Order: sequence, then structure tokens, then C-alpha cells
Amino acid sequence: MSELRKDIVSGRWVILASERSKRPDDFRPAQPEKKEVEPGFCPFCEGNESKTPSEVFARRRKGTRKDKPGWWVRVVPNKFPALTRGIPPVRHDEGIFQWMDGTGVHEVIIETPAHDKELFELPLYHIQGVLETYRDRVISIEKEFQYKYVHVFKNKGREAGASLNHPHSQIVATPIIPKGVNEELYNCERLHRQFRECIFCRIIRDETMIGERLVLKNEHFCVITPFAPRFPFEMRVYPLRHSPWFTTMSKIELGVLAKTLRTVLSQLKNVLSDPPFNYFIHQAPNPNLTHEAWINLEKSYHWHLEIIPVVTRVAGFEWGTGFYINPVTPETAAGFLRG
Amino acid sequence: MKKKLLVVEDEKNLCVLYKEELTKEGYHVTTVMDADAALRLVKKQKFDLIITDIRMPVKNGIDLITQIMALRKDIPIIINTAYQSYKRDFMTWAADAYIVKSASLEELKSKVKELVG
Repeated sequence: MSELRKDIVSGRWVILASERSKRPDDFRPAQPEKKEVEPGFCPFCEGNESKTPSEVFARRRKGTRKDKPGWWVRVVPNKFPALTRGIPPVRHDEGIFQWMDGTGVHEVIIETPAHDKELFELPLYHIQGVLETYRDRVISIEKEFQYKYVHVFKNKGREAGASLNHPHSQIVATPIIPKGVNEELYNCERLHRQFRECIFCRIIRDETMIGERLVLKNEHFCVITPFAPRFPFEMRVYPLRHSPWFTTMSKIELGVLAKTLRTVLSQLKNVLSDPPFNYFIHQAPNPNLTHEAWINLEKSYHWHLEIIPVVTRVAGFEWGTGFYINPVTPETAAGFLRG
Repeated sequence: MKKKLLVVEDEKNLCVLYKEELTKEGYHVTTVMDADAALRLVKKQKFDLIITDIRMPVKNGIDLITQIMALRKDIPIIINTAYQSYKRDFMTWAADAYIVKSASLEELKSKVKELVG
């Protein structure tokens, strides 16, 4: 029999229809997503630096020059961005409608010069370098006061929205706080009042005690399949140390996060035969600004990273109702992901 | 000597318009209506600039520019499309400019001038 479960943070209900499928094989594509055949050219590959805008940051070998080969992580602005850097946008009202200029930042983090390597196939120091780059770029962008929210995300595979195989992540900063984040922040404040502690700290404590949705736990992080996941094999990576901002992570913590990500992404590849996936970081808004709407933000919010394998389609029922039907229980998924 | 431009555009009327307007600007303009024809020409002739549409039958403009880049990385390319949405495809970075088609050709003309003089 199916089961309805409520996600405590978002308030969203999901339908777990586990009788429809029980094994990861059911979600493996008949043929794993083919590596796209790129006819010898990729704008992110080493040697093609002239095809990208000038780099805003890079980790490079000593003695190599900006916008030339020799880098191992490289950050460039989007060449044709949907949002462009500019003065703080003004909100305009036209009757019942509101609009503002498309101001924002859009940067691409090229994770490696190697076109065919996955992030989790890189050495640990390299994955840590990518994570430190996320942190450092977010800190830098947050110094521009017009951006209230900085979002870090990765699309891997065509089905997950990646237009190139070359490993890359993206950072988008917006002058408004996205609706989904806003709702999460609001709910966390409400839940903090109700439980008198951060709801994520409580989830971490309960999930590590129960154990059936726990994928792994180490000295700084735990990974769980959430109680009410929207998608099969969805995972959340939580830092054990409470902090609303990813940017507060130390070098040591990011080293452990690199190890954690490498483990769970490799496991995802093994279990689901290299699925397309998205991951993104949810953190509190720009700490350099005051956010009057959330008086208790520092205590009530807890940054985390969400990993969503793309193995099912969002269709009319989900779009129309906000309900998600998930054919794999998180307990089953965690069992497979633990190996 | 006149700079040689190749325009790849599947709308016949637009081919005529671009040829007329860019010829008036002093360029030698060749037009083709599909990507394969463009690729054959690029293999045979040397162009100073390519202007390509994206949404075309058989092969789209993004596939065309990636194939051109594999042959010659140094040809400047302008994407000239009716759609903003292709900006999400990072392969468009192979091009030097991305123009959204409009009734006025001023942006196109000015970008051509910037890239080839």
C-alpha cells in the first residue's frame, strides 16, 4: 500500500508508492546516458581559454598566466548571461504586476581541465579545491550588497540540464531571495519556535539515532535519504556543526566534505549506473545584509547540500498539485546507497 | 579587399535581407540555407566571419559551430537567433556574439564591424 509522508521543513507531502518498484535496476536507463559525441571542441577544455570570458578566479600551477593553460579549477563569468551585473535593480509596479531589471551574477566553475573526468573521480585535494572555490566565490559575490542570495549548483548529464559533459558547476546570485528558499527560511523559524532548536539539528540527531535512512556519517557530515523524498535516491548532506552559511566551512571541513561527496556520488553511480543528477547548496541569504523578516536566522537555519538523481520525470500530477509520487522508499534507497 | 561573410539562415527572405544590407556595408556576402551546405563551404573557402541561425532543419546552428571549431578555431562566429533560450547551452560559447533577431539590423551590423572591421 502506498503512503503519504510530509516533509517537515517544506511542508510538502509526497506519495511513496513503493509497490511499483523495489530495485535500483528499475531506474537504470536501458542504456546508460551516452557520452555526447563532441566533435573535437569544447569551450571549457584547456587550450580554449580564448573562447570564454576572462577568468575571475583560478587555481593554477605556479608560473602559469591568467587565461592561459595551466589551471586546474577555473571560474569565468557566463559569456551570454541571463542576468547581468549592474546597479541595484528597482522594482516597478504596473497595475497588479511587478518587474525589475535582470540584474545578477552568473559564473561557471570549470572543475577540471579533463573533459571526461567526473568530479568524484578526481583526487580528494582537487574536489576540496572545487569546494573551496565555491566558498571563496560566494564570499566574494556576497560583498556586492545588491545580491541577496547566492546559489551554487551542479547539473550533470543532459537529462539534468547540463549542455556540456565537461565537469562544471554554476553560481547564480540574485537581487531577491528565491521563493523556495524564502519558504524554507520561514518554515525553519516557525519550527525553531516550536521545537526550541534548529530543525535540521533535530533531523540529524533523530536520523543518526534511527539509522534506517542514514547513508553515512563521519566526523563532520552525515548523509541521509530524507523521510519524505520527492525523487528516488534523493540525498541530503548535512554538516554536523550548526551554521546557516556554507561559507563558514573551514578548510578541514571542506576536506571532509570532499571525501563525503566522493563516496556518495560514486555510490550513486554504482547503484544507478551513472545517472544524471543535480546537486545544490541551500544556505541562508547574504550575511552582509540585514534580513528583517527572519530575526532568528542564525539559530534556525542550517546549510545543507541536496543531491537529486534524475531518474523519474516530473509530469502533470506533480506540476499541478505539488505532490510528488516516489516509487522508492528512502529506507530502501539508503540500504542500496550504504552498499 | 572586401571581407567575406557567410550567412547561414533557413528563411529565404532573411537571407535576401542580410545579403542586401551587409553588402551595402561593404562586405562580400554568401548565403546558405542549411548547416551542411555551410560546412562544405567552410572546408573549401576562407571566410572572415560566419553568421548563423540556430534553429534550422536537419542540423542546428550549435552543431554547426562546434564542427566549424573543430576545423578552424579562429573564425569569428555570430549566433543570430530568434531565441534567448539557447544561451543556456554552453556550446554557444564557441561563438563570439549572440544576437537575438529583431526588426532592426543595427546590432548585427555593429557586431560584424566590431569583429571584422
